[in-house]
Amino acid sequence: MRRYILRRVAAFVATLFFVSALVFVVVRVLPGDPALVIIGAEGSPEAAARLREALGLNRPIPVQYVEWLTRALRGDLGVSLQYDVPVGRLIVSRLPVTLPLTVMAAVLMAVTALPLGLYAARRHRRAGDYLAMVVSQIGIAIPGFWAGLLLILLFSVHLGWVQSGGFAGWSGGLWPGVRSLLLPAIALGLFQTAVLVRATRSSVLDVLREDYVRTARAKGVNELSVIAKHTLRNALIPIVTVAGLQLGQLMAGAIILESVFALPGIGRLALGAITARDLPVVQGVTLFVASTIVLINFAVDLLYVVLDPRIRYE
Amino acid sequence: MRHLAKLLLVLLALIPLAAPTAAPAQNLILQGATEPPGLDLTATPASATATVVFYNVQEALVKVDRHGKLVPWLAERWNTSDNKNYTFFLKRGVRFHNGREMKAADVKFVFDRAMNPETKHPAVKQYEVIGDIIVKDDYTITFALKSTNANFLWTMARQGSVIYPREAVETLKSEPIGTGPYKLGEWVRGDRIVLVKNGEYHVKGLPKIDRVTLRFIPDPNAALAALKAGDVDASMFGLGPEHIPDLQKDSRFQVIVGETTNDVIMSMNNAKKPFSDVRVRRAITHGINKPDVVKGAMFGLGRVLGTNVDPLNPYFVDMSGAMPYDPAKAKKLLAEAGYPNGFETVLKVAPQYYYTVRTGEVLADQLQKIGVKIKIEQIEWGQWLSRVWKDADYDLTIIGHAEAWDIANYANPKYYFRYDSAEFQKLFQESEVTVDDKARRELYLKMQKKLVEDAPVVWLYIHPRLAVTKKGLQGLWKDLPAGAGVMDLSEVSWAKQ
Repeated sequence: MRRYILRRVAAFVATLFFVSALVFVVVRVLPGDPALVIIGAEGSPEAAARLREALGLNRPIPVQYVEWLTRALRGDLGVSLQYDVPVGRLIVSRLPVTLPLTVMAAVLMAVTALPLGLYAARRHRRAGDYLAMVVSQIGIAIPGFWAGLLLILLFSVHLGWVQSGGFAGWSGGLWPGVRSLLLPAIALGLFQTAVLVRATRSSVLDVLREDYVRTARAKGVNELSVIAKHTLRNALIPIVTVAGLQLGQLMAGAIILESVFALPGIGRLALGAITARDLPVVQGVTLFVASTIVLINFAVDLLYVVLDPRIRYE
Repeated sequence: MRHLAKLLLVLLALIPLAAPTAAPAQNLILQGATEPPGLDLTATPASATATVVFYNVQEALVKVDRHGKLVPWLAERWNTSDNKNYTFFLKRGVRFHNGREMKAADVKFVFDRAMNPETKHPAVKQYEVIGDIIVKDDYTITFALKSTNANFLWTMARQGSVIYPREAVETLKSEPIGTGPYKLGEWVRGDRIVLVKNGEYHVKGLPKIDRVTLRFIPDPNAALAALKAGDVDASMFGLGPEHIPDLQKDSRFQVIVGETTNDVIMSMNNAKKPFSDVRVRRAITHGINKPDVVKGAMFGLGRVLGTNVDPLNPYFVDMSGAMPYDPAKAKKLLAEAGYPNGFETVLKVAPQYYYTVRTGEVLADQLQKIGVKIKIEQIEWGQWLSRVWKDADYDLTIIGHAEAWDIANYANPKYYFRYDSAEFQKLFQESEVTVDDKARRELYLKMQKKLVEDAPVVWLYIHPRLAVTKKGLQGLWKDLPAGAGVMDLSEVSWAKQ
């Protein structure tokens, strides 16, 4: 196990190194100049040239990368060109929005998709199954940003139950914060929930056809026990795999929904930074998201061992 | 004992009547589309920065008021006997937000710094005309110009000429300090900027709002939802013309449609074939039905333009009829230029500015009728700045020029239009040193006529000011003569209910 963990840590470091180098080069090779974006069309190209010099963007890309990497290894991700604030501090300041948003969407996904998928599998080819499949099909077909706008229209504009966007913060207590993230979490989780319903249904259906389930039923084990102990646990491995991948996609989906709901999260930070060519921020956010996804995958692998004691990592 | 209790109860009941009733705090929540790239007006000419800082947090010696007139501001008056030496007499008792009084030495510091190339002031060229700055006393300062400059007072009123205390120069980008009606409260990056009332503002009785929150909602539909749900009191920038007819019918809101300095133009690359031929440029101009463009792309909101000078400029002349829609003439001109069957060309637009794409689609349809087939290429704003604006790597492009007094762009052959006319440049240079208003007006007329004749770009329309507020909000500017992004909140208040 120790060797396995060491191997994974080495892979983690290699992934981050690769991602950072790739993003560094791609962002700098793409047309678009941070100095020009800061100066804008109202300024002069001469002013932009002076700013470019001051920002150190005239030096060769490898030199810039080595400098950036040396500082990053010491935990310094640089300073945002747009905000003049350390990148690390910017990312940390956005976590109280994106983290709860993603977690809420994931919880929503789990508590809705698992029972619904299970229900559909148990009612295979009956009305309940078809209904669940139609609902999940709609969930897959509606893009998150559109669902977000529809939710705003209904719950904010017409009913006035929640605010239309923005983040209330956590200083006023738990509820105002949760309330402002409720609609975005639903919109964000909708697609992934629908996908997970289908994954759960098919995985449970596979297991229900297994001999050991038939044997358990033949032995007279009660149905609840058949489902909870014999079926669900065995069906969980593919479900967890899908769910793990979906967590990463939730973070990606947050980029669009944070804009629709005007939430000051990591996604909107990334989008704004790309538009403004705020290179240190793009770099920092990418590294952060990449690390999170690698860590989630690692956690999923470890979870396999818990779910299925036959799995060993040596 | 019972009597005492009764007496106490009566006294308690009277307390609310006796206590002075404090006026309820007046708050204002605004929606803006773009978050500023820093708050330092001496480092960026971005209009999103001006929206927050200019006139609200920081002010200049001279101000362009809501009618487009130059008025004394931090300077209570100025005089000049020879149009080369300008003496400004500062208003006394004006305090910066840090409590210190503004003195002539601060003004000198600000302009010395702006003129220093090391500062990287984006408009450093405008200050090159200043030869010497002499502080006569704490409240009197003279600018000795190297030569006569007709724009000098306008330069002093520009957003890059704001006065700030020299001790706060390091924090201009994140915590600007000035003399304005509001102090910067907080900036929650990515979410909002809060401005709080400056109780010691130098204009008595202003401002009337205690706290202004500017929320950044980039998505126009989300902005509309926030307005309709009552989460914001006003949408200042960001709603499109398609939202206006519906909101005009809604009794909860008032819609402000005004003029701006933002002229939307289709530029043609004057250095590149076929647009290097003036006949082709004229043909394109004759091939465009501008009123239909405004109808199709802007729901009929926006004034049709004929030349560069905007209607808020004192030298505006309506030339919208000078090159009328005439497809037959357009075809004839194209044939003369050697393109009897028209040609294919690429129009680059940046969808960050919604009107560029819509306008492009209408133009592509119209120009097809004279044989010019347009392929629309959408590029991201950062790329537009690099490829089109800086490198002039384009055939056609559409953008709004929001800055006031921008005719100088046509006198700069390196500007992305690549328009190079010695005659125009001479007229412009002359206008820069002509102080007499009548003579200068004459020169501006000549310049505009020359522009119409040479058709370096197609002036399409003025992008209107579109703001929507809850009923009862008063004091906002209708027109925006000081720059299309300027949002003066000093006189804004809620009407008494």
